[in-house]
Amino acid sequence: MRPQDEFVAARQPDWAELEQLLALGRGFRKLPPVSIARAATIYRAVSSDLMRAQAAGYSPDVIALLDGLAARAHNTLYSAPPYRMRAVWELVAADFPRTLRRHARFFALAVALFVLPGVLGFAGAMRSRAFALQILPAESVEQMEEAYAEGFGKGRKAGVNTFMTGFYVFHNVGIAFQCFATGVLFGLGSVFFLVYNGLTIGAVAGLVTAAGHGRNLLTFTCTHGAFELTAIVIAGTAGIVMGYALVDTRGRTRLGSLQARAREIVYLVVGAALMLLVAAGIEGFWSPSGLPDRVKWGGAIVAYLLVISYLTFAGRSGQARGEPQAEARP
Amino acid sequence: MPLDNTTEVETPEHVRFRYRVAGPVRRMLAYLIDLLIRGLAVLALGIVLAIALGDADAVGGVMLIVAFALEWGYYVFFETTGDGRSLGKRALSLRVVKEGGFPISFMDSVLRNLLRGADFLPVGYVIGLFVMAGDSRFRRLGDRVAGTLVVVEERSRVAAPLTITPPPTAAELEGFPQRPPLSASERETLELYLRRVDLTAARREELAQMIAPALAQRIGVTVKDPVRFLALLHHRVAATARPRADRVPV
Repeated sequence: MRPQDEFVAARQPDWAELEQLLALGRGFRKLPPVSIARAATIYRAVSSDLMRAQAAGYSPDVIALLDGLAARAHNTLYSAPPYRMRAVWELVAADFPRTLRRHARFFALAVALFVLPGVLGFAGAMRSRAFALQILPAESVEQMEEAYAEGFGKGRKAGVNTFMTGFYVFHNVGIAFQCFATGVLFGLGSVFFLVYNGLTIGAVAGLVTAAGHGRNLLTFTCTHGAFELTAIVIAGTAGIVMGYALVDTRGRTRLGSLQARAREIVYLVVGAALMLLVAAGIEGFWSPSGLPDRVKWGGAIVAYLLVISYLTFAGRSGQARGEPQAEARP
Repeated sequence: MPLDNTTEVETPEHVRFRYRVAGPVRRMLAYLIDLLIRGLAVLALGIVLAIALGDADAVGGVMLIVAFALEWGYYVFFETTGDGRSLGKRALSLRVVKEGGFPISFMDSVLRNLLRGADFLPVGYVIGLFVMAGDSRFRRLGDRVAGTLVVVEERSRVAAPLTITPPPTAAELEGFPQRPPLSASERETLELYLRRVDLTAARREELAQMIAPALAQRIGVTVKDPVRFLALLHHRVAATARPRADRVPV
């Protein structure tokens, strides 16, 4: 067996060469094929150097150097498949609606968890103001009653529209992501946020209607609601799907089951986020505009038809091709 | 299993190497750097827009949108285009990798960063911290779901061979066996101890007193100065061509 110093002296030039190639970072991929092949060759040599060094009991610094070199070379040589812009389009055109349809039952459950508390909140707040105040903070109740009493017939400044759009993006998409992410706690977080949001929205609607401004509220919310409420429910669906993956593991470990379904889950959340961006634009500019009520109602009908037909029909052709590999059992 | 913060990865072609897994403090520092960068970016944009547009509401709206985009897109962008490294991670030589040592893909990054929403709860990444504390590889919820790890990537160099000053005299080495019977991990411990430069003299002495008697007893020499004894022992071990006591040399 070779003494360590001799071994290091003999192998050092190769290590230095690999180090140099790796230092290029992303530039590495633009190297001529010869250099890449060379890097791969040294990487294999380094792996065997590493095993030799371990077997021979060389000192920790040599092992650490080789570990680091092998790890970085591996990370660089086996690069992840590049993410193409086309994949974004595919997500919108097919993957998102398809995945949602595949989880139609969970979607139905999420709708129920959102709508039933919503109806309850609405009915309760219609009947008693005290009930609504149990759910909503008093200041925001007064604020909302004022806002909807006035209506939006006059429209408002463009700057305010921009501000509110920003606010809706920040706030609503944040809620959707939270509604999803907390699903990792066996779905409980998602269930909670669906029920909570349903109850709150229902109570606001009930309160405003009881005060006699139901028409204003409906006119304001009808169009963006098509995107916004649907998206919140879809984010909740994604959370429940994630939580359920921890319960029904299909023979995998809990974590393995979760990871196997991760891709579909991402489709749902990203899809929901995109819908919320559309909703924020509408809510900031169209909903508070001075357009006549009839026009807004017409817009709402178009929006609902659009959302329903998109989620029902998009990506139907060629569906067989796109079945997820993640479903394959080990 | 050794009690340290490394994890072994075996690649499909059966190459094995070890990663040093990044702990919570290091990751927190990287997070703070990223947070600062994002905050400054929004602030700078706000100032520029306020001068350019002048309409406070519109500026606020654009800033909210940018803040949102940075909140959720910053990590995904840098982790996908920077080979698993955000700017803060780069500063602390951290990298996100897949569990098999592969680079992370766009989808992995999206997933691990979306789950920040759960790791953050109830406030300031408390759940994430608890989950990390219970995992041998310090994975937070997002890492577990996406199947990723955060590793430390430090360049190491082959250190110069250890020297012993003053040089050992024949009298000192008297009684040391030609090949001291030390296991591989004992030799490693010895070397790591001698290479520590950050120890105070008192601590160095204290540590040596803890290990020297047991080793001295095994090889049958009496110890006067534990620190010197360990240096001499290492000298003798290194002089023999590092054969592994518990294995047949290859």
